Amino acid sequence: MRILEGIRIALQQIWAHKLKSVFTLIGVIIGITFLIAVITVVEGMNRYVQDDFAGAIFGVNTFTVVRRSQVQTGAESEERRRRQLRNPYLTMHDVEVVRRAVPDAWRFSYSVDRGFSRVTYNERSRKNIRVIGGSDGYEAMQGWDVAEGRSLSPLDERRALKVAVIGADIAEKLFPDVSPVGKRIRLGSTRLEIVGVWERQGGLLGVIRDASVLVPISTYRETMAWRRNSIEEIQVKSRSIEEMQAAMMEVEGALRRDRKLRPGEENTFWLQTSSDLLGTWETINKILFAALPGLVSISLVVGGIVIMNIMLLSVAGRIREIGVRKALGARRRDILFQFLAESSTLSLAGAAIGIGLGIAMGKTVDALTPLPASVPMWSVVVSLVLGLVVGVGSGIYPAYRAAKQDPIVALRYE
Amino acid sequence: MTEPNDVVIQTHDLKKHYEMGTELVRALRGVDVEIRRNEYIAIMGPSGSGKSTLMNLIGCLDTPTSGEYILNGQAVQDLDDDELARIRNREIGFVFQTFNLLPRATALHNVELPLIYAGVSARHRIERAKEALAQVDLADRMNHKPNELSGGQRQRVAIARALVNGPSIILADEPTGNLDSVTSEEIMTVFDGLHDAGQTIIMVTHEPHITAHAARVITLRDGMIESHDAPRTAAAQSV
Repeated sequence: MRILEGIRIALQQIWAHKLKSVFTLIGVIIGITFLIAVITVVEGMNRYVQDDFAGAIFGVNTFTVVRRSQVQTGAESEERRRRQLRNPYLTMHDVEVVRRAVPDAWRFSYSVDRGFSRVTYNERSRKNIRVIGGSDGYEAMQGWDVAEGRSLSPLDERRALKVAVIGADIAEKLFPDVSPVGKRIRLGSTRLEIVGVWERQGGLLGVIRDASVLVPISTYRETMAWRRNSIEEIQVKSRSIEEMQAAMMEVEGALRRDRKLRPGEENTFWLQTSSDLLGTWETINKILFAALPGLVSISLVVGGIVIMNIMLLSVAGRIREIGVRKALGARRRDILFQFLAESSTLSLAGAAIGIGLGIAMGKTVDALTPLPASVPMWSVVVSLVLGLVVGVGSGIYPAYRAAKQDPIVALRYE
Repeated sequence: MTEPNDVVIQTHDLKKHYEMGTELVRALRGVDVEIRRNEYIAIMGPSGSGKSTLMNLIGCLDTPTSGEYILNGQAVQDLDDDELARIRNREIGFVFQTFNLLPRATALHNVELPLIYAGVSARHRIERAKEALAQVDLADRMNHKPNELSGGQRQRVAIARALVNGPSIILADEPTGNLDSVTSEEIMTVFDGLHDAGQTIIMVTHEPHITAHAARVITLRDGMIESHDAPRTAAAQSV
């Protein structure tokens, strides 16, 4: 009830001096806005990476055999990367070893690829595309379905036909008005007939599927590979996570035996799963969340100091009022609570504005960029608690000064 | 002999000393006062006579250096801050020269304040504050803020605030000091009415025509009581 009195006064003050209040609260507002906005975007990314991204890149229950890790994680990676640079390139022999190791795999494929190429059709061209030479089953492995035309067939691979399936972005750029199927595009010196176009994936991941060109791996190796026998990656998909783990053990053992690695010797290949990518993301996450409290607390401390100053001014301007309240029976703690409630209300109002702005920023990011955003409830709770802490913290000294006023002196105060 | 419970205020050898720098100021040098229920007292005296100090002590805003003070049967000379606050809240209704209303609050809220500190629930608070305002004929002004009220109306709000907790005494410090003579009379009429209704009123003033309303005048000089008189005599003396 006395607290209500403090809240009522604080709201009155805020309302009576709207502009001044905004300046008073700017530190808290910025701190909380930042907190909410970062958490919102990071959490959105988190969910996205876990739910969609990793699954879409590596596939569910899928692992790939590669020469070296493509994902860098943490500090220990530097040395590991240097060691892995000495790993031999994968060859068709390795493909056979892996295939024999997991004869029951649900899906099996292998591929080579090359980034930053350019495709042209007549005078139109599209840069920064990825050219993939995929074995039979590559599209099924990736879950890429055609929207138009057909997928690559075993026949295409066996005969090394100069055919290609392209992503939706490329189709749109090169063939704005006509169907691409049956047209011949040029990739370097090679002419390829388009047999199909994949469904658009869109979003962040669109950069992978929508801007890719897939040709049979045989065609790729005959026409454009500079390291003819090397294979970039071998993909193995299982029906369940347990099966995948068993398959990984089999493949590791088979490759080690094939390469005659002694016990204790490190693998000269790398088995990559979506958890590698999640690991990287978690590292980024950790850095963000480690930096966040520092940045937020700086602005909250500044905000708290500003509120403390405003509260000191407020106390100095209301000495007479404090005297009157004491004469009417207010105890020290009544005055203390009143000013604490006032500073807390101020600070919480700042936190509320910050939460609103932070959510708005998150939604803006969500709407304007492919980055997803979601506001976790806990971040709102944390913000309100921080607002309260700043309010009480910055109010203690001014409230104490108010509470210890001598009523006689305060009543005479001009 | 008066009935013990008929005495509202009783002081014995009340002394108050201040240190002003190195100098010891003896503001009160032993004051004995007895005030009975429903008395109407004026306290007079030139500045420096100790009348403000006496008023602060009677109003429990301050504690004496030595001596006894019994208010409504309770010895208050040794109470701590919080206990004094409780006594001020329950036993004393202050009326100030400068009204001392909270500028941003409505008349009703100003009158509610003592009830807030008494811990009265919101519903009862509003009810009682309205009653008190009606008692000073301001029922129609309760949602006005002080700056929307005349001086006399403000002082009446202050009187309603002093009354609202049903105090043992009304302690008024120059209540008409900031008012013109017509409004002063109006306010004095309110006090007379309260006195007639049974209130005990103690009024600090230096205006002789105000003391005329009182039944007894206590005159202080140099920290001592100079005289207890009927008002006419006191007025005659000061002329």
